[in-house]
Amino acid sequence: MSPSSSGSEAGSSSRARSGPKARFEIEDRSQVVSLWSERFGIPEEAFSGYSFYRMAQNIWAFRGPPLPRMSFETVGLRIISLKDKLWKPTTSAIQVFGVTATKNVVSLGEREAREFLAGETLEVSADVEPGYVVVRSGDDILGCGLYSRGRLISQVPKDRRLGVEAGDIRCS
Amino acid sequence: MDSLEALERYKDIVPDFGVFVKVQSSPLHASVRINTLKIGRPRLLLRLDKAGVKYRALEWYPLGLRLGPSERPGKTAEHALGYIHVQEVLSMVPPLILDPKPGEAILDMCSSPGSKTSQIAQAMENRGLLVANEPSTIRLKPLRFNCERLGITNVAVTRYDGQSFPDYTFDRVLVDVPCSSEGTARKDLKVLLRSGRKRSLNLQSLQVRLLKRALMLTHPGGTVVYSTCTYAPEENEAVVNEVLDLARLEKFSLLGLQSSQGLTEWNGETYSKDLKLCARYYPHQNDTGGFFVAKLIRL
Ligand SMILES: C[S@@+](CC[C@H](N)C(=O)[O-])C[C@H]1O[C@@H](n2cnc3c(N)ncnc32)[C@H](O)[C@@H]1O
Repeated sequence: MSPSSSGSEAGSSSRARSGPKARFEIEDRSQVVSLWSERFGIPEEAFSGYSFYRMAQNIWAFRGPPLPRMSFETVGLRIISLKDKLWKPTTSAIQVFGVTATKNVVSLGEREAREFLAGETLEVSADVEPGYVVVRSGDDILGCGLYSRGRLISQVPKDRRLGVEAGDIRCS
Repeated sequence: MDSLEALERYKDIVPDFGVFVKVQSSPLHASVRINTLKIGRPRLLLRLDKAGVKYRALEWYPLGLRLGPSERPGKTAEHALGYIHVQEVLSMVPPLILDPKPGEAILDMCSSPGSKTSQIAQAMENRGLLVANEPSTIRLKPLRFNCERLGITNVAVTRYDGQSFPDYTFDRVLVDVPCSSEGTARKDLKVLLRSGRKRSLNLQSLQVRLLKRALMLTHPGGTVVYSTCTYAPEENEAVVNEVLDLARLEKFSLLGLQSSQGLTEWNGETYSKDLKLCARYYPHQNDTGGFFVAKLIRL
């Protein structure tokens, strides 16, 4: 058998990256940690073992060793997006780190939880500061909500919502 | 042309060939893997019981569940919250054979949509370095999406052609190569319309180069698992036979999952006797799709 015959169809979609690309820079730990502790009361220990990286307008939490010298598309979990000077926690991060939140937490009943996961805006009165909140229901951490004057707007990304089935992708 | 005709050339290698052909037209039920990064098995099973979901745990992997015929797991809250991942039963085999440990450095060379990546991450308990590589830009999105939904924090995604993946030394590498996918026929019979010896030979050179590169990236004694979801020996034994100067094959099995030995000859070619140590999984043996798995130890 000769492995030198070429012409694979997969090859066309598999160009190697050429040229430099936006880099993941190490982000100051204390700043990131204090954002989460000030807003949600999440203790610093929740982030022990994690390092933080920044690329463009996003901050990532990575629980691994120092990165090899390669070019990366993502590093760990995207936990914060920065818009103007505002920081927004991602639903993925809330689901992972929100368990230990002690403030700005909204608790929903079972039916409301499904509505929230489906992306709906709910009327709820909660004892929280306006802004981003951790939304939970029983043991489930549902994700990030935006609370303002009795309205809770679901921040669950569209493709993550309840009932949205990801398209079938072959070869899994 | 009848799509099943493509399977005729396997008449002499597949046991109970008639049953094998017949089962292709019976659709598979859904199956899921419990994501222990987000929920414990007992709590998840309790939820399914409460919701009246019908399931049966796999004998050889308690985190894998076969669901009843009418279940649509992709539409449940458990899916949205990342407690489960929809994954074909046999797709759970290669990560089990790879057997990654927390703290190791692992490469998943052909990773999208990340079913095996996320299974590896959960075996690593989210600790250590997991590089998920995927060169196809459109396939990056589902990979990222799954990693985020499942709460994986130790994965770094790269976009290299696996054949020229940059130098690094990994403890283990999974090479789940692009293939002719004959083993997915129970999901969609149409895959068989394109398959055949010619197509398989076309894929072979890329597969050999990916596997070689994977071995070069693994330290001596490290493990490389090569897998496909096809029956074609051109993409399976013939590929592994090309790298036996870099690695030796190791025997493996999963208690309760039936498999057939790898082939040592095909179409007039003979391969090393060691190729018997590979596993072929046929759909009629375990009521699954089809898969090929080889476990290699770097010399
Ligand atoms: C069988 S699928 C992988 C399925 C995945 N391991 C899972 O379990 O979800 C093969 C993947 O290899 C990718 N691929 C194609 N050419 C490649 C190359 N040259 N190097 C690395 N990956 C490649 C394809 O885009 C495809 O996503």
